[in-house]
Amino acid sequence: MPYAPEHDEVPNPLRPGLRGDSAPEPCAVVIFGASGDLAHRKLVPALYNLAIGAHLPAAFGIVGVSKTPYTHEEFAGEMREAVGRFSRTKPVDPEIWQDFGAGMRYVPGSFDDPDTFARLRTQLEELDRVRSTRGNRLYYFATPPSAFPTLLKQLKAAGLISGPFDTRFTRVVIEKPFGRDLPSARALNRLVLETCDERQVFRIDHYLGKETVQNLLVFRFANAIFEPVWNRRYVDHVQITAGEDLGIEGRGRYYEEAGILRDMIQNHVLQLVCLSAIEPPVAFDADAVRDEKIKVLRAVELFDSPEQVTRNVVLGQYAPGSVAGADVPGYQQEKDVASGSRTPTFVALRLNVRSWRWDGVPFYVRSGKRMPKRATEIAVHFRPVPHPLFGEGATQPNVLIIRVQPEEGIALRFSAKVPGERFRPRTVSMDFRYGTTFGAASPEAYERLLLDAMRGDQTLFTRRDEVEAAWKIVGNILKVTESAEFPPPHPYPAGTWGPDAAEELLVQDRRAWRRL
Amino acid sequence: MEATVSEAYGEPISAGASPHGGELTVRFDKAVDVGRIEMLLRQARERGGPAPETVSTLNLVAILFNAAQYERAREALEVAGTLHPCRLLALVADEVIEEESLTASVSVVRSGGAITMERVVLTATGRAVRHLESAMMGLLRPDLPMVVVWGGRPHGDLLKRVVDSADRIITDSGARPPSHLAETAKLLSRGAPLGDLAWARIFPWQSLAAETLDLPNLREHRGNIRKARVLCAGAVGSEGLLLLGWLQSRIKRLEVEIAAEGHVDEASSARSTAVPRAAPMGLGHVKLLELTAPPATFTLHREKDLLLAQVKGDDDGWCAHRIRLPPETPGRLLALELKLLSGRDELYAQAAIAAAKLLPAGRT
Repeated sequence: MPYAPEHDEVPNPLRPGLRGDSAPEPCAVVIFGASGDLAHRKLVPALYNLAIGAHLPAAFGIVGVSKTPYTHEEFAGEMREAVGRFSRTKPVDPEIWQDFGAGMRYVPGSFDDPDTFARLRTQLEELDRVRSTRGNRLYYFATPPSAFPTLLKQLKAAGLISGPFDTRFTRVVIEKPFGRDLPSARALNRLVLETCDERQVFRIDHYLGKETVQNLLVFRFANAIFEPVWNRRYVDHVQITAGEDLGIEGRGRYYEEAGILRDMIQNHVLQLVCLSAIEPPVAFDADAVRDEKIKVLRAVELFDSPEQVTRNVVLGQYAPGSVAGADVPGYQQEKDVASGSRTPTFVALRLNVRSWRWDGVPFYVRSGKRMPKRATEIAVHFRPVPHPLFGEGATQPNVLIIRVQPEEGIALRFSAKVPGERFRPRTVSMDFRYGTTFGAASPEAYERLLLDAMRGDQTLFTRRDEVEAAWKIVGNILKVTESAEFPPPHPYPAGTWGPDAAEELLVQDRRAWRRL
Repeated sequence: MEATVSEAYGEPISAGASPHGGELTVRFDKAVDVGRIEMLLRQARERGGPAPETVSTLNLVAILFNAAQYERAREALEVAGTLHPCRLLALVADEVIEEESLTASVSVVRSGGAITMERVVLTATGRAVRHLESAMMGLLRPDLPMVVVWGGRPHGDLLKRVVDSADRIITDSGARPPSHLAETAKLLSRGAPLGDLAWARIFPWQSLAAETLDLPNLREHRGNIRKARVLCAGAVGSEGLLLLGWLQSRIKRLEVEIAAEGHVDEASSARSTAVPRAAPMGLGHVKLLELTAPPATFTLHREKDLLLAQVKGDDDGWCAHRIRLPPETPGRLLALELKLLSGRDELYAQAAIAAAKLLPAGRT
């Protein structure tokens, strides 16, 4: 609920016990960077799909802001085309679009120019009158982080940010990366919080919008049978893989600055570590869940020396190779990538979560571009049976796999007897495919996250201290790996699971990466 | 007890509608052989490859009283049953046809490599109808909730036995004369775990009314609501009565009134669109809700696929809030009700009991 009721306010007699899904409150979504890729491919198609499912408030509007000199009609036309290309439901329905498009406005201008924000204010007030958006605003920063300080200052100066207890809500959605390192993340957080309250800030990590990632919480905490074995007594190690078959897709300029550690590890992958390792929260609300995630991040052993980094971190960079039958160039042949670049496109890490539950259980993490296939999963490897009743090597340890993409689902590997006279066990897999089993198309992650942001539910968004704790872990690694003394990343052919050194990381522990 | 007619794999052997592709059908002479049906289910599962996993979250039992009723309900059952993986047992009991016959049709639905629905349709005519109940008991999957979709009038011994054994029973009082709400209310008073598609149909009206009273400048009226008036399309329907019953159960000393107006536009129900739309207004459905909270009057009404809330005081009135009606797809309402797998919806129980008190005159 967005409002705190007054002491003497009569409670709403019609609220208790209602079961229907209620749409969020009326609002206007302002997309800064509206001419960019994110708006075209993800944001507006997600909002359109929410409109189709009647999840959007009927009183709704979208305002795009960027330098491109569109008119309102040109912007709406551009977005219609984008929806036609990128929406998960096709073709564009004319009747739905008629209302959806009628709520679109556009403000061309530079973010440095106060006049842009004066005109934005005018458009928003017009939407309030014509579309009943009631002064509620969701500002989406689909821009590079360098634009955030300017945007925040301009919004505040134009009176476009209301306080956290105002009857109208203002929320700010920020995309990753949240800074480049810990000092810049802290500076960014300070800046954001000078303008807004933490309750108004939604730091998006779209992995958290995925059904299986959310299902991990349900799986762990709605089933009593797994918690007793979800600890160091029974778990041998955890493998987390976040692999993409794509390369950097023309984003050389961004990637040269970011690299795999900033692009994937600091946000998505550490979120997966958190959700695998957290203690049960005391309540299922945003802060209780995020409190537990912070504890995990603070428990991750920091690498304090170059020796620790060398022992526990392997970096790689893709070289020319073949992915899914097609030849692909290496990273250094990509556009806007310097020859001799030391930017890693792959990393494998061994992490130790120093908590009562997990100390001594390695969390092996790998993430990379140009892998043989797109695959993100968490695999919990259990300890072998204490006594090999059916002969040495006759059984394999149990593995519980949570697949995030593709084909979201959960699989459990266990041993069963081969039909016949002798007691011969073999490994079988019990597989539950989440999205297709329930017969309904899973919403795209952005649909869920945008809806939650409109509702004011921060459970699936990262908190300030989470971001900073994650930067502490990654920052320590970057301090060493970005120094001149650290060797360059190991090359690996595109279409393979990374350099041999990543295999060695587990072999030295007498383990091996799962074959995906 | 044995089936005397051979099984046909995917081909119909009984008169009537063609089965689905891949349906296995068997006719029984005297009584249902549950073991034979389980065997056919195994065969259906194993067809097309190694036995895949089966995922089930409930036993969904549909009790229907003729083949036409089953045909009308079939799509909704299948869609809802796929959204909630289940074993679907459809019992079609037609006592009007005198000749005795007993047929089972078995098929499975696969999704993502797993079996997400096992479907058994048991059709009985004449006296053979008496075998259906015991057959159903033998076919239930253990350890799963049993939810019954009841296609008949809410009374009778069979329903009483169902109430005693099922975790939840879903009816549709909107498909029956509103006077039957009295029987529903009796069952609810005794604690029956009933659900109702007519209740799910009015969720958007409830949401709009509740959200309108949450608006900061309208909260002052919460304690002043004195009267509620509902207009139904064409005839007074159960949805309107339930809406008033809900309001009466939530607001003390509320004066209520219900009436019917106008007619239902048949043409609008025929439109077919690429993207599902809100259900067209049907006979007896709510078309207007008016709440009087002096000096203000709230009027909630439907305009195409939107519900609008207008507020009028000393001024000309203004549109305070609006919500979009959900797109209507087969099985949507049933799937909504299936989210509550067991137990009672207390709000519905109170509303239905209050609605029944508005009968028989209903102040129309």
